[in-house]
Amino acid sequence: MSIIRPFRATDQFKFNNVNLDIWTETYGISFYLHYLSRWPDMCSVQETPDGKIMGYVLGKAEGGREDWHGHVTAITVAPEYRRLGLAASMMKFLERVSDDVYRGLFVDLYVRCENQIAISMYEGFGYSVYRRVREYYGSLGRGAGGADEEDAFDMRKPLSRDPMRRSVRPNGRTMLVSAHDVS
Amino acid sequence: MYRSLLCSTRLFITALDAIDSGANKSAVVSCNKLLKKYPKSDLLKALKALALVRQQKVEEPIALCDEVLASKPTDESTLNAMMLTLRQLGRHNDTVIMFEDALKRQPQNEELALQTFYAYVRTGNWKSGQLLATKMSKQFAHNDNYPFWAAMCAVLQANDFSTPPAIREVLYKLAHRIIASAWKTLDGSAERLHLYLTVLRELKSHDEAMALLKSEQGRVICSRSLTCDEIRRDIVKASGAVQEEGEAAKARILEQGDRNWLEFLSVLDAHCPTSGEKPLPESVGQAREFFVKVAEKDGKKDRSGLLAQLELEKRARAHGIIDDSSRLLALLKCYLETFGDKAVCYEDLLPYVALDSEDLAQWTRHLQMLPPQTDSVQNIQRSINVHKLLRFNLAQSELAPNAEDARAMALIKQYFEALPLGSELPKTELQPADDLVILAAQIFVNAYHISQEDSYLHRAVIVLEYGLLKSAQSYKIRLLLIRIYRLLCAPQLALEHYRQLGIKQVQHDTMSHYVLSRASMFSLAASGDLTYVSECLEASQVYLSNSQEVKAGRYERHSTTTNTRKTADFIVRAFQGEKYSQIANFTEFEDRLDNSLARDLVKMEHVRMRITHEPINADLIDMEAIELKFIFDRAHHDNRDMQVIPNYQPASQGSFYAQTTILEKDPGHGWLNAFLKVYIKAFKLASDLDTTVEEKLLIGDRPKPSTTADSGASLVERLSELKQEELDELTPDELAFVRYATDLSNWLAPYHDFSRPPPAVVLAEANKQSELRAKGINPPASEAGVTNGAVKKEEDPPAIQEAPVSLIAFFDRMQDRFRQLVSSTAGLYELLHVATLAQEALILFTIETLRFKNASLVKMHKFGALVQSFKGIRARGLDVASEIGKELVKLGEAQCTAVKRAEIVDACKDLRMHSQLTHEYILDIAKKITDSRKKVLDGVGKGVKRIVQTHTS
Ligand SMILES: CC(C)(COP(=O)(O)OP(=O)(O)OC[C@H]1O[C@@H](n2cnc3c(N)ncnc32)[C@H](O)[C@@H]1OP(=O)(O)O)[C@@H](O)C(=O)NCCC(=O)NCCS
Repeated sequence: MSIIRPFRATDQFKFNNVNLDIWTETYGISFYLHYLSRWPDMCSVQETPDGKIMGYVLGKAEGGREDWHGHVTAITVAPEYRRLGLAASMMKFLERVSDDVYRGLFVDLYVRCENQIAISMYEGFGYSVYRRVREYYGSLGRGAGGADEEDAFDMRKPLSRDPMRRSVRPNGRTMLVSAHDVS
Repeated sequence: MYRSLLCSTRLFITALDAIDSGANKSAVVSCNKLLKKYPKSDLLKALKALALVRQQKVEEPIALCDEVLASKPTDESTLNAMMLTLRQLGRHNDTVIMFEDALKRQPQNEELALQTFYAYVRTGNWKSGQLLATKMSKQFAHNDNYPFWAAMCAVLQANDFSTPPAIREVLYKLAHRIIASAWKTLDGSAERLHLYLTVLRELKSHDEAMALLKSEQGRVICSRSLTCDEIRRDIVKASGAVQEEGEAAKARILEQGDRNWLEFLSVLDAHCPTSGEKPLPESVGQAREFFVKVAEKDGKKDRSGLLAQLELEKRARAHGIIDDSSRLLALLKCYLETFGDKAVCYEDLLPYVALDSEDLAQWTRHLQMLPPQTDSVQNIQRSINVHKLLRFNLAQSELAPNAEDARAMALIKQYFEALPLGSELPKTELQPADDLVILAAQIFVNAYHISQEDSYLHRAVIVLEYGLLKSAQSYKIRLLLIRIYRLLCAPQLALEHYRQLGIKQVQHDTMSHYVLSRASMFSLAASGDLTYVSECLEASQVYLSNSQEVKAGRYERHSTTTNTRKTADFIVRAFQGEKYSQIANFTEFEDRLDNSLARDLVKMEHVRMRITHEPINADLIDMEAIELKFIFDRAHHDNRDMQVIPNYQPASQGSFYAQTTILEKDPGHGWLNAFLKVYIKAFKLASDLDTTVEEKLLIGDRPKPSTTADSGASLVERLSELKQEELDELTPDELAFVRYATDLSNWLAPYHDFSRPPPAVVLAEANKQSELRAKGINPPASEAGVTNGAVKKEEDPPAIQEAPVSLIAFFDRMQDRFRQLVSSTAGLYELLHVATLAQEALILFTIETLRFKNASLVKMHKFGALVQSFKGIRARGLDVASEIGKELVKLGEAQCTAVKRAEIVDACKDLRMHSQLTHEYILDIAKKITDSRKKVLDGVGKGVKRIVQTHTS
């Protein structure tokens, strides 16, 4: 029982149950308005029939002619609504828009190397590691998790315009780049 | 010659660089040098003004801007610099005029036309925007956006609250004409289609809308764009094509695997609508068959099929169609069996478990037969759902405090049994057993609510704090603790947990009420601890983050626009990128944030704290008089999030939120209005700035009114009327305070009005000061007003009326209340409530009598008798306040004793049956609670004492 609908500026007033979870960042107002004023069709919400937000995805289209693609900026589901297939359906939505509307070659996303749950979830959706980005999440010096906390995997999934799967590679985990090499 | 030109260019570049890099002072120096050579240059003046305004200067840039505006510039660089400067000064309307003038001079200049259009958008001047965009669409036909801009502006104008209904329709028709003639059937733009459909929906032109939707273009776009699909559903419903949509939804569910609940609703509406005629049983049967098929296909993968059956059964029953009376129960059981291990189960089932007595008995028996299991994560979740479902249907008679206590104890036991299952999880993960501890705490709170015994709150805190040790990221546990600590009068602990939530950005607007609602009663500002004052300022940052409020001392000009409209920039961008679907919502977002109720409740609390630690002088009085008046004219929106806190109380009880609301009432619109009226009246009486002076002293545009209500009545009339719905939101003590304040200002108003210096005198002084400022000299802040008060008048002063007896009676009342509370077992927070209101009344008395401290004024107007009559009232107020202050400090001390801690520890003795809840652990929390209580009682007490000293005369 979840409704998928567009993300709206006024959802900022009601996304607390999702954003108070530590893995979800609350950005400045401009951040959301920026996304909505450019890629409103890449941003969607899942909500309960009585209007509580269950999760949302924010995405954009970017890149040059050679690597024009859809990008998942944030995907999150409130703890009490996890394991219901919401992330799966939001990813499917974003892939379809990236393919049909923006005609991208692939979809990509960054994920903390330590976020094993998310990584295997994306793998389950057909994504694979393209490269490892050093200190993508800054050097937090949090310690315990070491480099996995700060490094990100750049994961990709080819779309219909890349039938030869040129945008992915098998040995991505060993391809190291630094944070300023990526946009 | 050449040399001098080169020098100037270099200087000019230096000036520009300086501005770009924020070196505003050196930019001004460069501009000044250049201006000596080219004293007429608009560009230089504009750049200098920009550099000055960025240093928070006001008077000089205003003068420079006026000069440049008068010369009607057209060159792009000057216009740009001016635009930035005027924006910081809040003079958006002048920007509009500047571009309009420039465009008039160069009507063929498309760039100028664009800038003018954007200026209209920034100021929400939709009518002019529409006219200009229409003109542009003809003049610059190469750009096919312009007609859609014009149509969008017409829609926005129509939606403005000030547009009368008849004009609304005219505007929508206009938008329709514009779009229809610009429409291209091959256009793939979802955003243009969305705008078109919005207009058609409003005009109820269903046929035209349906034709668009059914076209190849419409179908493709709707399948890809959620915004278009959303409006498509609206139109389909309004046009009555419900059956057709139901069939289409079935296809999407079965063939495309779509599990959007909206599709299921379409099928439900086609076969068994919630309203209207009774559907045929066969039709209901067909829908059931369909949903059964979906549910069988999906199994555990998706819950929509089963939920749709439940919804169908509920709807059918409402129509009186019951072909199988056991079906509802069977479905509930089946759902619980299939999805009981998902956290969402309880929430999913809530709409369907309000059962009649027969079914309820069976359902309850079924739930009771399911043994609580703590052997796997799935089973814990299942048990949690069962507990919640059972609790939901508990009757009033089953809720005796000891019965509740036993329930909570059983859950705590299961919690400890279940904990090991999550022991391997990293610290960042939530524990699967969290909800058991949350449930137990809610049960304790219900027991507290019924018995009014703090010991239940202590028990709740002990288990919640433990839960947080194990699940440090559980914001739900923190929220519960915040609510309970405030009830326990341990505000410091509440604030610490609140800070741990890491509230940011817009969350300040929706969440700050958890700690700042009525926070002035916990504020220790009077004794020098500004924690809550800064918390208020921090929470308000989000509203101001883009504003450049230019205000300083007395008679400095005030900027009225608090928000330089960052949102407006994004509205411009949405026009540029043709994202029409977003614009109306951006506007709504901005309106809700600017006119947020939480914002102004915090502001009011801040004022109430401010006056306890800042000197009461003309600066404070003038500034707050102006600011509060603007707030008073806002139509407020309540964005506070009260949903985020979980509620597992039985349907027969109030929610957890309601049960933990301090003083049982949340301040709302009515509360805010009542307090605004008190303070605006007081500050306006005390201030020398009457409305005409104020107008002259404000810079920038006035805020756009957000309401048309009350426009007939004058401010004075509106301030004097207290509405029932306002009084209803006050506690009895607040009501007494508001009545006291009303009597006080009614009594003193004639004397203030008589002796306030005439506007001309005030203005002359203000001008003198602002001239000094324009020259860069800071005039000293004056203590008691510009003219030092006394200005002789022709007419006789008003006769002196005796003080209303209600004023002294108010202090008597507060003393009685306070004494009563001290000797009762009432919550300590209530004591603080009464104490701080008494203190507030004393400060209000100072504010309203400040003017009459001026001896020459009193003498000239023969106010001697009036001033004499202040003495008795003030003395009584001081008396009561001293007693309160002393008593609070004493009470604070009493908190720190072993006896107090033992009270808490003893109340939690039986919790120690769980080895984790050791005596030391419980004692430690007991100590934190008593320390926090001591801190607030002692701090407020000392504050009151301090106020007694500062307000002695
Ligand atoms: C990651 C996250 C978005 C998943 O959301 P979700 O709606 O629960 O995911 P879904 O239900 O669609 O799961 C799809 C599949 O992913 C896998 N998966 C998801 N969560 C899992 C978990 N906790 N453990 C194991 N597998 C998991 C499963 O294979 C699952 O399919 P299944 O339930 O049929 O077995 C959610 O856990 C979340 O918001 N986490 C915090 C924010 C975050 O980490 N975002 C990702 C940053 S890049």
